[in-house]
Amino acid sequence: MMPGFRQSMAWLHTWSGLLLGWLLYAVFFTGTTAYFNQEITAWMTPESVEQADPRTAAVNAQAWLARHHPDAVTWDVMLPASRGGETRLSWTEASSPTASDAARGSMRLNGRGLDTPVPRPTAGGQFLYGFHYELHYVPYRTARWIVGLSAMFMLVAIVSGIVTHKKIFADFFMLRFGKGQRSWLDAHNVTAVLALPFHLMITYTGLVALMHMYMPWPDMMRPKPPRFAPMTIEASAAPSAPLTALLPLLTQASQEWGGVQAVRIKYQHPGHADARITLFPSGADSIAEHHGAQIFDGATGALITPPPSTSNTHIVESAMVGLHAGRYAAPTLRWLYFLSGLGGTVMIGTGLLLWIVKRRQRLPDPEHPYFGFRIVERLNIGTIVGLPAGVAAYFLANRLLSTDAVGRADWEIRCLFITWTALLVWSIVRPAKSAWVEALTVCALLYALVPIVSALTTTRGLFSSLITRDWVFVSFDLVMLITAALLTLAVRKLASHTPKAAPRRKPRPSVEAAA
Amino acid sequence: MIDLAIFLASLAGFAGLLLASPRHQQEWLRSKLAPRACTSLRLSGFLLLTSAFVVAGRSLGWGYGAVVWLGWLTIAAALVVIAHTNRERIVAKVRR
Repeated sequence: MMPGFRQSMAWLHTWSGLLLGWLLYAVFFTGTTAYFNQEITAWMTPESVEQADPRTAAVNAQAWLARHHPDAVTWDVMLPASRGGETRLSWTEASSPTASDAARGSMRLNGRGLDTPVPRPTAGGQFLYGFHYELHYVPYRTARWIVGLSAMFMLVAIVSGIVTHKKIFADFFMLRFGKGQRSWLDAHNVTAVLALPFHLMITYTGLVALMHMYMPWPDMMRPKPPRFAPMTIEASAAPSAPLTALLPLLTQASQEWGGVQAVRIKYQHPGHADARITLFPSGADSIAEHHGAQIFDGATGALITPPPSTSNTHIVESAMVGLHAGRYAAPTLRWLYFLSGLGGTVMIGTGLLLWIVKRRQRLPDPEHPYFGFRIVERLNIGTIVGLPAGVAAYFLANRLLSTDAVGRADWEIRCLFITWTALLVWSIVRPAKSAWVEALTVCALLYALVPIVSALTTTRGLFSSLITRDWVFVSFDLVMLITAALLTLAVRKLASHTPKAAPRRKPRPSVEAAA
Repeated sequence: MIDLAIFLASLAGFAGLLLASPRHQQEWLRSKLAPRACTSLRLSGFLLLTSAFVVAGRSLGWGYGAVVWLGWLTIAAALVVIAHTNRERIVAKVRR
């Protein structure tokens, strides 16, 4: 072994971490917010005051579809979670023989399946959730390949990082501040080691969640399991017949599933004698999915296909995906997930900074660093601060854009990327240290503004939410304020910091090997 | 309540592990403990972490409990690290 095992692992860790580090940072940051995607959506639709209720929503959604789209061939209802969220409907009209997009329609209803009060158009927490594996402005399949590749790099970086870390137990509790590079290394190590079970789990299960796309061949080899009801989009030839009452079906299905509630309802040929209602079990009741869908006769309410028994392979896979998404987690565990996710975000951020800090001392001419160094330095500022600032702008746009503006939901998203790009450009044109201070200041201001603007533009500001004990809104505003406070602290530390003169060292013979 | 028990046991466990190391004893206690005290501190630290796992598993189910346990371990260890980083301030306050 020429350079030594640990050294080659250090090299691997440095470069696998750097190459897609910014993307990983974005994936971790938005993925962490996704643990609260229903709550974020609730905050971004302040018109919907009532607590979400999946069963009520199911009945109301069916009534809405029967009133507005009685002739559709299929209906599809995504129910809200019991902890909040919206009801999302889609349907296919009979007019078209193929499933072209033109024949499909979709609609959002509130957490009780009602269309009044109309929630403001927004992509809500769902956008941040979607971004963490499908990005934006990129075809979603391409995005999944990119994210999967970066997850693979992450796995490589984690494993090689464990090997590289010399004193994983001796330095377990060590976090030394004010020591330049050493401090950044400590911060990187501590956030990596303390939440290591989470980092390994989330990266591995993230790959598992998308593996059917990366490795489709096993799926092609075997017959399709009867987990999904076969759906045709041909119009029904059967005579018309009213739909059976939905609530008894929901109750019966839940009993069959051992208490698990339905999360999705698919209708085929609603309003006809050959109607089929397929109920899908929610993943919010246990880590693994133990049950399959149940199909009912839509006219008589008789059970046609009982839930198929699930194979152990499927249970293992769904347990991994369940562990990743954390839909089963009660509030306390949800917060633990969130904090571990933040730890991962900080780990990637400090890792990216470390690359710069390590090399700055060895720059031949600190005033004019080489091109690659400048790229990494500017991308660091633009992403580590730019993305969080963009998300704050996304929340602000939700409150400030007129509720009936055209393309409102898209404009919220655009505000995110405009802010992110603006900070990126700003960080390129300014000297590095000023860029850090200014970008962090802007970011802190944006976060501090979110609860203020929310209080001014809605009736559900922090104080009124406290009075009405609306904990989702209270927590959201408090998280914004805490973020702003931490960013302010960072600005003050940074502004008063003067880097020590780099100690003069002999240039090392092999810079690459020590990287 | 169960969460509090898991958290406190993990916190005490990591504090024990911290103080089991001679280097950290010097920083916190200004003197090193006897090797036997180190061993028993280390053992009790691991024992507390294990008992937190048992409490979590038995009360919340082993699957769910294991995830909760790991979550609290991370938080507890992070708090011990923060306390350790600010030890000079904490020690000064206690001494006064």
